Parts: sequence; structure tokens; C-alpha cells
Amino acid sequence: MADEGEGEKADKKVVHVYPLVKHSDMKEEMRHEVIELSVAVCEKYSSNYEMAAKTIKDTMDKKFGIYWHVVVGEGFGFEVSYETENILYLFFGGNLAIVLWKCS
Amino acid sequence: MQAAPKTKEGKHKKTRSSKLKNEGGGGGDADDFDAWMKSRQLIKPDDQLDLTDAELGEEVTKVLTPTNTNVIRNLVVFSFKEGEFVPAPLPGNTVTLISFPGNSLHVDSEEARLQIEESDEIGYPLPMPNYSVVEQRESILDGEEEGEGEGEGEDDEKSEAGGKQGAAEEEEAEEEEDEEGKQTEGDQGATETEPGGDDEDAPAGGQQAAAAPGKKRKLINQFNYCERATLTYCNPKRSVDTQTIPPPRSQFGGTVLQWIIYDSYQEDFEEQQKISGRTSVVRGRSTKKTIKKKTALAEMLNRKYLRCWQILERMINQNIYDDIGNDYRYWEDPADEFREGEGNLLPLWKFQYEKTKKMNVTEIVFNPAYYDLFAVCFGSHDFLKQPNEGYLCLFTVKNPSFPDYIIQTDCGVMCCDIHPSYPFLIVLGLYDGNVCVYDLRDGCKEPMYVSRGVNCKHGECVWQIRWGPDMSDGEINFFSVSSDGCVFQWILMQNKLWVTTIITLYLENEVADGPDGTRVVLKTGGSCMQFHPTDNTVFLVGTECGFIYKCSTLFSSKYLMTYNAHNMSVYRIDFNRFDSNIFVSCSGDWRVKVWEDMRPDPLFIFDLGSAVGDIKWAPYSSTVFAAVTTEGKVHVFDLNVNKYKPICVQAVVPKRKNKLTRIAFNEKLHFIVVGDEKGVTTSLKLSPNLRVMVKPPKKQLYLDQTTLQISKLEKLLSLVRELPEGAVIQDTATTVRS
Repeated sequence: MADEGEGEKADKKVVHVYPLVKHSDMKEEMRHEVIELSVAVCEKYSSNYEMAAKTIKDTMDKKFGIYWHVVVGEGFGFEVSYETENILYLFFGGNLAIVLWKCS
Repeated sequence: MQAAPKTKEGKHKKTRSSKLKNEGGGGGDADDFDAWMKSRQLIKPDDQLDLTDAELGEEVTKVLTPTNTNVIRNLVVFSFKEGEFVPAPLPGNTVTLISFPGNSLHVDSEEARLQIEESDEIGYPLPMPNYSVVEQRESILDGEEEGEGEGEGEDDEKSEAGGKQGAAEEEEAEEEEDEEGKQTEGDQGATETEPGGDDEDAPAGGQQAAAAPGKKRKLINQFNYCERATLTYCNPKRSVDTQTIPPPRSQFGGTVLQWIIYDSYQEDFEEQQKISGRTSVVRGRSTKKTIKKKTALAEMLNRKYLRCWQILERMINQNIYDDIGNDYRYWEDPADEFREGEGNLLPLWKFQYEKTKKMNVTEIVFNPAYYDLFAVCFGSHDFLKQPNEGYLCLFTVKNPSFPDYIIQTDCGVMCCDIHPSYPFLIVLGLYDGNVCVYDLRDGCKEPMYVSRGVNCKHGECVWQIRWGPDMSDGEINFFSVSSDGCVFQWILMQNKLWVTTIITLYLENEVADGPDGTRVVLKTGGSCMQFHPTDNTVFLVGTECGFIYKCSTLFSSKYLMTYNAHNMSVYRIDFNRFDSNIFVSCSGDWRVKVWEDMRPDPLFIFDLGSAVGDIKWAPYSSTVFAAVTTEGKVHVFDLNVNKYKPICVQAVVPKRKNKLTRIAFNEKLHFIVVGDEKGVTTSLKLSPNLRVMVKPPKKQLYLDQTTLQISKLEKLLSLVRELPEGAVIQDTATTVRS
């Protein structure tokens, strides 16, 4: 029993870092691309969320048309209106939340 | 030419200097330019001569000659041809400073004339057509409408539009010349006979050129062209606008906190693990299932296809063998009417299978349920040349080209039997002593039952196999006889083949001395077996020693009867279809003997001149039987017609190369099939004389054929029985020599 308990604890301590899509209505193809991009950028600017958000936004504007908004942070609240099929709410790295949406 | 500009310059200088001088003297009354000039300090070269007024006023006369003084006149060139210097030719007086090719042609030139003619021919609108009065007026009107007021000259030159326009454009540049042009145009316009307005350069030339081809036409140049313009109807404009639906929007909100992130990761991770666990299990199952399903489906499809193809194959075969098919059913040899007591056989199809071409036909059995279906066993009778495979093919008359069913075994098939009540059950006896049962409904791949183990099989080749009547508890069983001297009964149990020994074929009163004073009872090998048609427990066994034993399945201690039948191995025994007490046997000693039950001596003996492979009673007549010999001949006997000779002897296969091995009568139609040593089964139609039916006597028309046949046989037998033994029946007396 003790072993099992320890095992459970050890399990809980495991920090998952894979990108976890919390909410998205994007098309499959687009979503994959956006997730890939977000992960790459957040890994690059792991200590500078502002830079990361800016980079993601710029890239998204180029790839999928302008009026993208990006939030990268560890704790925030948001209530946004977006053009349908253009939102992605993503957790990444265990402590990071990224919200992308498009709205003109 | 070179000198000219110099001199000009010189003159200019002079005049300028004189002007300066004047101005310097005159002062005040000068225009702006002069005033500007004055204010300027002229730059002089330092070494300029200061000349007095008198000197300046002095006229210096310079003569301009056309001779070029710079030309070198004593230029020589070494000529290699003559071996000396020769004076070079003078370079000439002309020096080209600038060459500027133009695209104008002189109107008189040959080229211009050609061009005009050409344009005439092709109708190229380069030269204007002759103007008529009307055209001119129209053009004027156009001009007025367009409002291209040319300012001056409109009134003057109404008669000549082209000229006017040309002139108007050139007005500013060359006013004087233009005025002259106008004059000429005016003159020409007054006459109104020909279009004027040619360029000043060649008004006369143009006329000449035009006159030459008989038409007068204007040449086009910068002073002479016509411009036309029209204004088309302007489409009214209309503006339309639409408004698209703005892209749909949605609302989304959320809160990001570290614990939310953590929790959602945990949740997702657990879910993933569950799914992965499930899928791995499901996959394992599903793949197996799908494979099974797929194969089953494919098999079903294949069967369907196979069925379709079989039908198609039969149709094709029926078309190909249409004539044979007709013979098979309807042909009756008309010659039979004229030959009393003789018949013949008409060959129909040959049945063979590619893989059994070199094998012997070891058994032919007609299917009891389907009259046109028959099984043919392929193996080898040669002890030394045993193939390592055997076949059982089920042919149908409907498809002579290919067997309907093919069963392959790993050693030669020596015999087979089809169950009378379950026509899909086939039992095979193999050369290696094994027996196996196939269910044709399940396909021909795997046997339903097969004998296994050393004790559960015959020690030697199985020679004949027969389905027995069902046991009292409904179990299906069969009997087999083998060279090892045993008759076995095999019972098809739930999952295995149960074997019991019915009888061991010991030789009577034959005991050999064994080692150490022991005595061994000798056995004989069984070679054929036939059940009594009415008494299911009684059967006959032919042996390799030539004996025929009458045995019973109920006990194995002794034989019911022993016939000392032949001098060599008994090959086949067959019971009469109408009288079960009568049977016939054939043997390797060339003899065919007809026996009656419990009578030690044969009723008839026939010598066929070679080993008799098989013999069968006809199903339609009580006195007809047919035999095949190793000579390749079929012998058909009708004892009612001829007691001493066969009524038909016909060679079916070549004597030297091939031997006939087996024969079978069709139960329904009047044809037989014979098998040979090359794996070919031939079907032969019996001619009418070979199947003579008994005509009922006039007083007894109500009697059916069976009774008549029995009585026929009985009559025949009574004749033979009455005769004292050995007096008539002599082997030599009935020998058939062919």
C-alpha cells in the first residue's frame, strides 16, 4: 500500500509540458500549424512573454491575415469576441497559457 | 566643305565684334538683351592682338576652293604581286561627317511608283482614295461637329479639308510656306477636279506619279493626311453595391491560473492513458476479427464466383461439344437393325485432368444421387512406380473439360465409394493403407476423417472400399479390404474414425512352419470385396490367391463359402442387379466367370485373351455385363443373345501403349465409362443391340421389365443348371480369341 501511495505521489509530481488545447474551433490543419508555431516561439522566448506574444501575433498576421491578438502569460482572465473558427486557447510547458484569436 | 564652317565662324565673329563696337559707341537705346550683354565683361585671350579701328575695318579676302589641300597625293602601297611600290588610289574628296538615313522616297523614283501601284492592288489605305465632293463636305461637317475649330482658314478652305488640316498643323512652323501651299490648294480646290495639297517638294511629281497608273492620288506625308473620328454611343452608367455579411463572431472567455493549467493537464493525461489502454486491447481484438471476417467474406465471394464460372464453363462446353451432346442423348446406331446379335460402342467425351495424365484410373464410381456425376480415382497399379500424390476427380458429363471436384492426396488413391444416402460423403482408400472420408460440401481441401496411427490403418494397399448400411444407432460406417488380408469396418464417430477387424483372410488348412516349432496360419491378401445387395451382412471377398470367400459381418471365425474361382488374383466381383444370387468375377488369369450363390462351380466361363481388369453387370438388363481387358478392349456380353461369345468387342485404346483398367455403367442412361492407364476416362454410348429389353409376351403385357428380366435370367440359368457339371462348361469351349 505504501508503495502504491508513493507511486501515486510520484505520478502527481510529474509535470506535463506537452501542448494541451483547452479550447479551439479552428480547422484541424490550421490548429496544428498554430500549435506548432506557438510551441516553437514560446520555447524560443521562454523568459520573455511579451516578445513571444508579439512574435506569434506577427507571424499569425502574416500567415492567416491581420487582426490577430495574442496573450501569453501564467495568470490572467479574458473575455473576448472573435471571428468564428479563429480562436485557440492552449496550455503549454506546464505553467503557460496562450490565447490567440482573430478579430478586426 | 571642311573649310566652309570655319569661314562662317570667322564672319560671325566679325559681325559680333562690329556690333559690340556699335553698341559701345551707341549706348542707351538698346533692348534688354543688349543691356544684359553690356554688363558682361568679355573674356579675351591674353595674347589677342590689339588692332586699331583701321585694321579692324580692313577687309580680308579669303578664297574658298573646292580642292582639298589636305589630301596626300604621293601615297604608295607595296604590291606583292608586282614586287614594287605602286601609288595608292586617291581617297577622294568626300568626307562623310554624318550619315542620316531617312525613310522618305522621292515621288518620281521607281520604288515610289511600285509602292503606289502595290498599295492600289492590295487596297491598303495608305494613299488616300480620290475625294469626291460629297466626301469633302462630310469631312467638313465632321470637323464642325467635333468643334475642332482651326481658328483661321475655315472659311477660306471649305473645299479642301485634308489640305486645311495639314496646313493648320504646320502653321506655326512654316508660316510662309504654308501660305504658299494654301494658294496652290485654293487654285486646285476651285477647279474641284482633283485633290491638291501636295507637299511643296513635289506637287507636280505627285501628279505625275498618280497620272501614270491612270488614277490621281495623293501621297501621304506630314502635310497631307486625313483624320477621321466618330463618337460612339456612350453607355449610361449605373452604380450597384452590395453589403456582405460580416464574418460570424463568437464570444469566449476564461481565466488562466496555475492550478487550472495543472488540473487540465492531469485530466487530459488520465484520459489519454485510458484511451490508449482501450485502443490497444480493442485493436488486438479487432484485427483478428477483421482478418477472420475478411477471409470469410473473400471465401464466400470466391465461391459465388466459382459457381458463376462453373455455369459459364458448362455452357461453353455444351456449345463446343454440341454434336457429342446430341449423340449422347439421341443417337441410335441404325446399323444395329441389320446385324443380329452384335452391337458397338460410340465414343463420346474423353475426361481427363492435367495433373493425372500419367496416372492410372483405379476406380470409377457413379454418384447415386446425380446420375451424370462420377468419381474417378487416380493412382498406380504398378508396385514400382508409385506416385507420391493421388487424385480423386469428380467429373460430370455436363462439363467434360474439367473436373467439378478435385481431391488431392499424398499417395495414390486406389478405390473410393460414394455413400448411397449421403451423396456428398466420399471415402477413399489409399495405397499406403490409409482411408479418409471427405465431405464435398466442406470443400475438397481437408478430409473430414482420416485414419491415423500404425494400428489404425491397413498394412498394405486398400483395394476396395464400400459404405455399409448404417448401424443400428445410426452411425455411418464403411468396410475396406486390403492386401494385408484384413477386412476392416470403420465407424465415423463424433471426432474420430473407429476401426474394427471384421475378418482376417486366413488360408484354410494352410499352416506354415515357423521358427522354434511354432506354426503360423497363412493369410492371403484381399483384392476386392462386394456386398450382397439384399443381405447386408453378407459380402464376398476376392483374394490374390484366386479364392472368393463368402463372409458375414456378424462373425469372423469362418467363411460361409469358399469358391476356388481363379488361378490368379481376383480383380473384381459384381452382383447381378436383378438376381442377387448371381455374381460375376474377373481375374488376371484372363477369365470371367459367372457364379451362383452356394454353387462351387461357375455357370459360365469366358476367356477374354488378356487380364480382365474390371467387370460390371448392366443396370438395365439381367443378362448383360461388360468387362475391360488390359488389351484395351471392352467386351460386352448378353447371355440371352449369345452364351458363348461377347456381343461386342471393341478396342477403345491402342493395344500396345495403353490398358483399360476400370468400367462403370451409368445407372440412368445407356452409356459406360472406362478408365485407362493414362488417366483418361472415356465415355461410350451403347448401341441398341447391347441393351435389348425383354418384350413382354402377348398374354402377359401387364408384367413390368424387372419381372421379365428376372424370368429371362431364370430361364437362362435353368438351362445351364440342368446340364451336368463339367460336360458343357469347359474353359476352352468358350474361349474368345480376338
